Amino acid sequence: MKHRFAHSIPDKIIILIVALIVITYFLFITIPLLAVFLRIEPSQVSAQIRNAGILEAIKLSLITSGAATLIAFVLAVPSAYFMVTRSFPGKTILDTIMDLPIVLPPAVAGVALLYTFAPKGLLGPLFNKPGFIIPGSTIAVVIAETFVASPFLFRSAKIGFENMDKDVINSAKMLSGSRLRVFFTITFPLSIRAIISGTMMTWARAMGEFGATLMFAGNIAGITQTMPLAIYMFLYSDPLAGIMLSIILIIISFSILISVKLLEQKRFGTKK
Amino acid sequence: MIKIDSIRKSYREKKVLESLSLEVKEKEILSLLGPNGCGKTTLLNILSGITRQDEGNVYVNDVLVSGKAGTRNVHIKPSDRKVGYVFQTVSLFPHMRVQDNVAYGLKALHLSKQEVKKRTADLLNFVGLTEYAKFYPNQLSGGQKQRIALARSLATEPQVLLLDEPVSAVDPQLRESFRLELKNYLQALKITVVYVTHNLSEAFVMSDRIAVMGNGHIEQIGSRTEIFDKPSSSYVAQFLGINTLNGKAVKSQDGLVKIEANGVVLLACASQDLIGKKVIATLKPDNIFVSKLPKSYFSGEAGNSVEGVITEMVQMRSNALVTVDAGFLVKTRIPLSSIKNESLSIGDKVYLHFSADSLNVFSDNSSENILRI
Repeated sequence: MKHRFAHSIPDKIIILIVALIVITYFLFITIPLLAVFLRIEPSQVSAQIRNAGILEAIKLSLITSGAATLIAFVLAVPSAYFMVTRSFPGKTILDTIMDLPIVLPPAVAGVALLYTFAPKGLLGPLFNKPGFIIPGSTIAVVIAETFVASPFLFRSAKIGFENMDKDVINSAKMLSGSRLRVFFTITFPLSIRAIISGTMMTWARAMGEFGATLMFAGNIAGITQTMPLAIYMFLYSDPLAGIMLSIILIIISFSILISVKLLEQKRFGTKK
Repeated sequence: MIKIDSIRKSYREKKVLESLSLEVKEKEILSLLGPNGCGKTTLLNILSGITRQDEGNVYVNDVLVSGKAGTRNVHIKPSDRKVGYVFQTVSLFPHMRVQDNVAYGLKALHLSKQEVKKRTADLLNFVGLTEYAKFYPNQLSGGQKQRIALARSLATEPQVLLLDEPVSAVDPQLRESFRLELKNYLQALKITVVYVTHNLSEAFVMSDRIAVMGNGHIEQIGSRTEIFDKPSSSYVAQFLGINTLNGKAVKSQDGLVKIEANGVVLLACASQDLIGKKVIATLKPDNIFVSKLPKSYFSGEAGNSVEGVITEMVQMRSNALVTVDAGFLVKTRIPLSSIKNESLSIGDKVYLHFSADSLNVFSDNSSENILRI
């Protein structure tokens, strides 16, 4: 009995230590988010919502992130399908390169895009015309966001296609000669959750894009100044506006993440 | 009906099928029987067109569906081969209701809406699941799923039906009844069926002929009795649980052939042409009578009586598998009542009695010369 008692004390201490670690971590993440909300009075919100600078940044962010997500969808979903269904030499290398923007510092992405699309860049002569230069334009924002955010969709779609039962696809191929019909009635619907969650992650990433946009597109109000860039600019000139934008971004990000989580829990055939 | 001509298929370095040829007759149910991983599913995938063989030709109804015609490569799409395929994993479309699963192939035929509806109803009626039309696959039992998969594959009115281990998706306690049910469906359909299974008794129940597969090709094809009574290789015999023994046909005696195997001389009904050659003899466990008495009224003149020691006894439901070491290991199947009457137990000295015509002898063309049973 004595022996057992001696063992129960360190157990309690361990539980205590673990509890402290867990609580510390949860607070470490939640307190800074809460701090943003506490910096603004409810009465100040309505005034800020009518702030032209804020509205302009929100509008630009929605347009550019929407465009980037759409482009990412068109490019990444078919590419992910190709990647999963074909094998070719150097596939692993290419696959790794395609994932690179996820871990690359956005500043590097910005530099890379400058050396590609700036008038003197690798593809500069192709895209820049007299009177129109890509860096510093809204298009540059879309390019930067697509470059940084689309790999999320590419990855997610690949996982969706990979996890599909090959025999389900083959069953469909036995019955229908149209590849397009099999893709749109079987392959796509069965990987739709992975694709939607990838699309939302891409959208969230595009909304939050800062570094690459700043480097490649600059910080021009109304043209390249998206919400994160506006927050950066407002930090000293108009802190309340910055706080308001931050709150909006937190709410948007939270909504997207919780939608993805709910989506992943849904199962087929539970409805009657 | 189906003709497969010298098919070869490798995955990377691994040879799966090696000069495999097979003919399936019109409207017969043929079982492809073999251990797991012997290439049965690969063969079905090649027949259906899902997988391409490296070499060789596949004909369905005398039409080349895959292979080489002269210098021209032919590969007809799976959906254009008039072949239905029920996969081992059942693979219903999980996001579609039962009726839409069944109608999937019909919709590809560009039929009118009423026609699709009518044929779907007919197919659901055929498998007895009309009232489940609006269910989703995950609301069905294993057997029901399998029946829907069958109905779905029949929608396009195939001439050939491929079934890959169809009973394996059914709960073990329901397999027996599902097997009978499935057999009724297949007999009612009157189409050519290739039925893949690794289960011996299933192949016996389901099919008209059995093709035993092993080492990447067809080892033997024939009726149940042909395969069981006259296995053509030691591989087939061993897969069927039949004793095999390697020996040499030494001389003839009274129209019979004397075979020497591991110091024991046996009498067998066999061709005189085999004398002087290495041979393999197979012996069914059921054809051996085990007794503690050396000479039995049962064995007569043309009989064999071999002395041995019981080394293993495994009790089954109504009989026991008894292994006897008689210089070579022999498996026998003995009714439990006989074991009790003769009070047989491990270590006992016994005599194996079997008639000369219960030995099936063929010449041993392989280079292997190990004695094994």
